[in-house]
Amino acid sequence: MNNRKKAGRAVLYFSMFCIAVISVFPIVWMCIISVKDPTESISGFNSLAVLKPTVDNYIRLCNQIPIGKNFFNSVFSTFFGTVTTVYFCALAGFAFAKYRFPGRDFLFYFVIATMLIPPEVGAIPQFIIMRKIHLINSLWSLVIPRIATAVGIFYMRQYILEVPDELLEASRIDGCRDFSIFNRIILPVIKPALASWASLSVVARWNDFFWPMLFLRKADKYTLMVSISLLPVSDGLSTPWPVILAGTTIVIIPIVLIYIIFQRLQKQGIMVGAVKG
Amino acid sequence: MLSGIKKYKYPYLFILPFFLLFLVFQLIPLVWTILMSFTRWNGIGLPVPIGTGNYQLILRDSMFWESFNNTVIYWITAVILILCSAMILALLITSSGNGIKSVFSTVAFLPNVCAAIAMGLIFRLLFDHNVGLINEIIVFFGGTPQPWLTSTRLSKIPVIVLNVWRNSPWYMMIVYSGLLTINPDYYDAAKVDGAGPLRRFLSITLPGLSNIMFFCFITLTVDSWKLFNEPYILPGPGTSNTSLFQYMYETGFTIFKLGYASAIGCILMTILLVISVIQFAARKRQGEL
Repeated sequence: MNNRKKAGRAVLYFSMFCIAVISVFPIVWMCIISVKDPTESISGFNSLAVLKPTVDNYIRLCNQIPIGKNFFNSVFSTFFGTVTTVYFCALAGFAFAKYRFPGRDFLFYFVIATMLIPPEVGAIPQFIIMRKIHLINSLWSLVIPRIATAVGIFYMRQYILEVPDELLEASRIDGCRDFSIFNRIILPVIKPALASWASLSVVARWNDFFWPMLFLRKADKYTLMVSISLLPVSDGLSTPWPVILAGTTIVIIPIVLIYIIFQRLQKQGIMVGAVKG
Repeated sequence: MLSGIKKYKYPYLFILPFFLLFLVFQLIPLVWTILMSFTRWNGIGLPVPIGTGNYQLILRDSMFWESFNNTVIYWITAVILILCSAMILALLITSSGNGIKSVFSTVAFLPNVCAAIAMGLIFRLLFDHNVGLINEIIVFFGGTPQPWLTSTRLSKIPVIVLNVWRNSPWYMMIVYSGLLTINPDYYDAAKVDGAGPLRRFLSITLPGLSNIMFFCFITLTVDSWKLFNEPYILPGPGTSNTSLFQYMYETGFTIFKLGYASAIGCILMTILLVISVIQFAARKRQGEL
């Protein structure tokens, strides 16, 4: 029995190891190739070793696309997209969780039901509407339509339901009005939920491709994702792979770092809440 | 009545942004798409009403049917492969020790934070016919190199692999959160009764996850039918990898057949609605909702 248990453990850890390798390998491989000298071979197993690490590929990339501007555009739309969606989703989630008003349940189910039809289906009229309100080539076209999303509202409502009503009653007696109850009482209490919704939004906004491609039509207005997708790629070795993978490294590494930082913060945040509560 | 509105002013004000944005950026575009699907329009001048002309053309459009079939393949493979691997990953997390648990779940989640577009470029090199690492490994083990992205027979495989690689971790977290809600007493009781691991999985874990699995199925379905990035960045020969939504985008924004593209959009919408309605009806019959 004991031996069988040990064997089971071994199989478990071996499969976890394999999955970890599969998850991480493409990312590491990309980083390796991005620092390879253009004269080194990238075919097959040769791609796994770096003899003379170089930043040449990154410099060549900067000469091909306005990488600084594109990076700024990505950061800008990700930052404002995340901040606005976290605030307004929490606000709507608060209303659905803690207020009683006519039509509340119907409206909430309506919000949920909107998730079944992806907004992408109406991409053509959305483009026309964006052109009418002069937001084509503006980064706000990526922020505004998703200020409040159904998933976010659902998520926030679930979390705010857990907040004890007594807390709200007490602050109401202390003379807090609705907006200040939300800003001063609710927001600090639901920090862990805000952090996890923010981390999901950051990743989604940064990785967004379809909407930026649709709404941004000038090279210096592109987000990183659009710029990278337009690098010339064909089959075989005629493609400057190290340069392209330098581009994908610039796209992927920042978000991986942010994700890991968020994970750390979130863990600490939950700890702090537990100690205080 | 006026005092009623005043009384409920704040909650309505708080949920107003969603409904306002929904109206402008979803509802109006949807209705507009439906109306536009009955016209011929290239974006200039006025749309010409042609009744169901677009739909009649679509039925005989071989490109449409090819992208429809591709999307069905993406959908079915995504549902089966992603749900299975998410389940395996989540079970691995639950059965691992506390120290490894958080490290493993962080590492296993990494693919989901990587952009599909960037990973698609990497997969193109990975799956390259002549210089790709995958073919080199196949040759190393005595196989013959495969023309992954240049043959119609195999070109969907890189797309499916990328989709599964990127999305499994997301569903892993959802399934994992579902596993946490199952009462551990059930497992102890089953152990006492002498039930083996497989028996426990089939009789306790799966039924306990039925709501979560239903949710995963619906979101995977919606996501698969609007699949765009993966086939866009990993195109096969001709239209062999084109998804339905990609076909709609191309007819709309590269050849400007806006009415025709809208009709494709309407069909996409109808398919999603029908799948959802069938699913919800099935759940209701089982008495689960």
